[in-house]
Amino acid sequence: MKRRIALVALLLLIAGAALALRWSPVDYAAQDRDATMAPSSAQHWTGTDELGRDRTVRVAAALLIGLAGATAAAALTTAIAGCFGVAAAFSPAWAAAVLMFLSDVFLSLPWLFLLMMARSLLPLTASPLETAVATFVVLAALGWPACARVLYRGALSLRTAEWMIQGHACGLRTRQLVRMHLLPHLRSLLLPQFLVCVPAFIVAEANLGALGLGVGEPLPSWGSMLLELDNSALLARSHWVYLPIALLVIVLLTLESFSAEGETHA
Amino acid sequence: MHSPLRSSILCAVLIVLSCSFAAGQAAPRQPGEIAWAIHYDPKTFDPAKVDEQASELVRYLTGGVLLRLNRQTQQPEPQLAQSFRISPEGTLIVFKLRAGLRFSDGAALTSADVAWSLRRVLDPATHAVVAEEFLSPAAVAIETPDALTVRVHLPTRIIGVEKIFDEIAIEPANRPSEGRVTSGPFTVADYKRGQYVRLSRNRNYWRHDAAGVQLPYATGVRLDILNNREQEISLFLRGEYDLIDTLPAEYFGIVAQKSSSAVHDLGASLNTEQMWFNQSPAAPLPEFEKAWFRNRSFRVAVSEAIHRADLARIAYNGHATPAFGFISPANAQWHSSSLKIPPESIADANRMLTAAGFHRSGNQLYDATGHAVKFSILTNAGNPARQKMAAMIQQDLAQIGMQVTIVALDFPALIERLMHKQDYDVCLLGVSNAEPDPSSMMNMWLSSSPNHQWNPSQKTPATEWEAEIDRQMQLQASSATQRIRKQAVNRVQQIVADQQPFVYLVYPNVLQAVSPQLRGVQSSILSPGPAWNIDSIRREQDRPRRGAL
Repeated sequence: MKRRIALVALLLLIAGAALALRWSPVDYAAQDRDATMAPSSAQHWTGTDELGRDRTVRVAAALLIGLAGATAAAALTTAIAGCFGVAAAFSPAWAAAVLMFLSDVFLSLPWLFLLMMARSLLPLTASPLETAVATFVVLAALGWPACARVLYRGALSLRTAEWMIQGHACGLRTRQLVRMHLLPHLRSLLLPQFLVCVPAFIVAEANLGALGLGVGEPLPSWGSMLLELDNSALLARSHWVYLPIALLVIVLLTLESFSAEGETHA
Repeated sequence: MHSPLRSSILCAVLIVLSCSFAAGQAAPRQPGEIAWAIHYDPKTFDPAKVDEQASELVRYLTGGVLLRLNRQTQQPEPQLAQSFRISPEGTLIVFKLRAGLRFSDGAALTSADVAWSLRRVLDPATHAVVAEEFLSPAAVAIETPDALTVRVHLPTRIIGVEKIFDEIAIEPANRPSEGRVTSGPFTVADYKRGQYVRLSRNRNYWRHDAAGVQLPYATGVRLDILNNREQEISLFLRGEYDLIDTLPAEYFGIVAQKSSSAVHDLGASLNTEQMWFNQSPAAPLPEFEKAWFRNRSFRVAVSEAIHRADLARIAYNGHATPAFGFISPANAQWHSSSLKIPPESIADANRMLTAAGFHRSGNQLYDATGHAVKFSILTNAGNPARQKMAAMIQQDLAQIGMQVTIVALDFPALIERLMHKQDYDVCLLGVSNAEPDPSSMMNMWLSSSPNHQWNPSQKTPATEWEAEIDRQMQLQASSATQRIRKQAVNRVQQIVADQQPFVYLVYPNVLQAVSPQLRGVQSSILSPGPAWNIDSIRREQDRPRRGAL
C-alpha cells in the first residue's frame, strides 16, 4: 500500500513537472531582468529566481533531470556492480580475493574529492547537457563498489546451490547458467541496490551542485537551486526558495518507500 | 537494517538547516573590547613577513609606524615620526622622531630601533613583501645621526615613497616579538588557532586626544576567525560584533532592514570585476580560437553586448557601479573623466563582427573559416555575484550569436589552469586594488609581468599597443611631475578602453556595517575600512538590548 502511494506521488510529480515544462511559455534559461525575485503571479506561478528565471519551470526541469540522471546512473552502477560481483563469485578464490580487494580500495577512496577532480577535468567547453551526463556517469563510475560486495556475497551463495549444480550436470554453459538461473535469482538483490542508488545519486548531485561543481548553468539542477538556501537574504524575500528542497525531500521519501519495499522482498 | 536513504535525507535536511539557521557563538566580550570577524587565520604575526590580509590587519592594529596614510585624505601623516622631509631629488628622507616614545613593555623607542626595523625589512633573508616597493632594497642605506633622527638614502626617486612607511612596523631592536611588544595602539595578547586573535591596549602608546586622554580608547580588539558570512551577519545583528568591513551586497538589505543606520554604501570601491580573453601564444587552444581572442573587433563587440547596468543592478543588488576602465571613479585623482568608451549596442557589436569576417547562421555566429563561435567563461565557485554575472553575460552574448558555457572551479583548480597551464578561453575574476596610486598596478600592466593576465611574461610586447602601455606605465612610475604622470595614466586608460584586453564589468561598492554602539568611526574605502582610525574608536558602555539593533 505504502509503495503504491509512493508510486502515485512520484508519477504525479513527474507528470506535473512534464506538464509545467510543456505548457510554460518561457524557457528555463530565459532571464526576465525586470522581474527578479518576483512573487508568485499568473505568469510565474512560484515566482522567479535572482536572475528573473521562472522558478516553476526550473524546478520542474531539475526534477526530471535529477530523476532521469540518477535512474540511469543507478542502472549503470548496478550493472557494473553485478558484473564485478558475479565475476568474482565464479572466479577462483585468489582471483575473487583480488577483485574484492580492488573493490575495497575503490570504496576507501575519498569520493567527493574524486568527483570534484573528475568534474574539473572535463573540457571547459562541455555544454550544460554534457556536464549533466558527465556528472551522472562519474557518479555511476564511483558508486559501484558497495553494491559489488553485496552482489558478490549473493552470487557466491547461489554458485553452490543445488539447481546450479544440476544445471552444470545438464551441460549448461556458464553464460546460460548466468542468464537462466543466476540473474533471475539475483534480481531480489539487484533491485534494492538499484533503488538505494537512485536517491543516493540525487543527493550526491545536489552536493556537487551546491559546491558549484555539478550540472553547468543555465541547466537547472537540485544542487544549483539548493545554493539559494545558503543566503538568508533570499529566504527573507521569498518562501518559494524552499520549493526545491521541499520537492527533493518528497522525492527522496517516495524513493525510500520503494527501496524499503525492495529490501523487504530481498 | 539502517537505511542509507535515511542518512541521505538527513544529510539533505542538514544542508538546509545549516544554511538557513547558521548562527554560532562568539567568544565572550571583555569590557571595552571591540570585536569583529576575519575570515581566516593570520599566517604570521611577524610584521615584517606579512603577505596576506589577515596578517596585514593585525600589523595595522599593533604596529607603530613612522607615517600613516590618512584613509580619508589619502595623505601621509606623521606618527612615530614627528616630522619628515624628502630632498628635492627624492633620494633622501629624513625622519625626526617624537621625544619620549616607548614600546608596550616600557623600553625607550629610539632611532636605533627604527633603523633595525627598516634594515630587517630590507634584508633579503626576511622575504618582506614590502621591500619590493623600494625597487632596489639592497641599495637603500640608513643612518642614525642621533637618537631621534633617521636618514634613509634611496638609490633613485620612488614615487609615493612615504606610503611605504605605512607598512613598516617599528619593533624593538634585536627583539622581534611577533606583535607581543609593539609601538602601535595594541599588542597581541592571545591567539587560539581557528577561534580568535585577542589584542590588548598598549598602555605606552604615544598618542593622546585633544583632551589629553591617552589613546586607544578601546581596552582591546577581538578578531574572531570566522569564514561564514551568515554567522558573521547574525552575530553582528545580535550585537556580538561591532563591524563588518566588507558586507556582501546580497546582505546589505537584510542588515539595513534591521538597522538602517548601521549600514553604509560608500559608493564604488577601487576594486574591479572584469573578464579577459586568453591571448597567450602558449595556450593549448585551437588557432582559430586564439585568432578570435586576438581580434580587437571581437573583444570590443563582446564588450558592447554586455549590459553592465544589469550586472550592477542584479548581481550586486544595485550596490555596484558599471565599469569601463581599470581606475574606478572613486579614485578621483587618477580616474579619466574624458575616457572614450565603446557604446553598449547590440547593433554596433553585430556590425563590428560582420566587418571582421564573422557571419550569422540562425542564432549561431561563425568565423570566416566556418567555426562556430563557442567558448567558456571560467570563474571561481562559491562567489554568487560572479556566477550571476557569468550567467547574465551568457545571455547577453547569445544575442550576438556567441554560445558560452560557464565553468565554476574551486580556486586551486582555477589558478592551476590560469597561471600554470593557461588552459582556458575567458576568465571572469576581480582585482583588489589596495592603493589608489597606479604605480601599485605596474605588475598587472607591464607585458613582461607574470600577472599580465591575458598574455603573461612576454619577452617583448606582442602588440604595439602593449608596448605603448609599457612605455606609459614606466613613464608614470619614474616621473616626478604629477601632470606627466596623469597624462600617462590617462593614455593607458584610453588604450585599454580601445583594445579591451580586460572587459571591465563593475566596480563593487564598498559596503560596511558599523554598530551604532561605536563612536569615532570614520568610514573609508581603503583597507582596513572603518577600523583605519582604530585608536580613536570607542564602544559605548551601555550594551544594546537584545534585538535593539
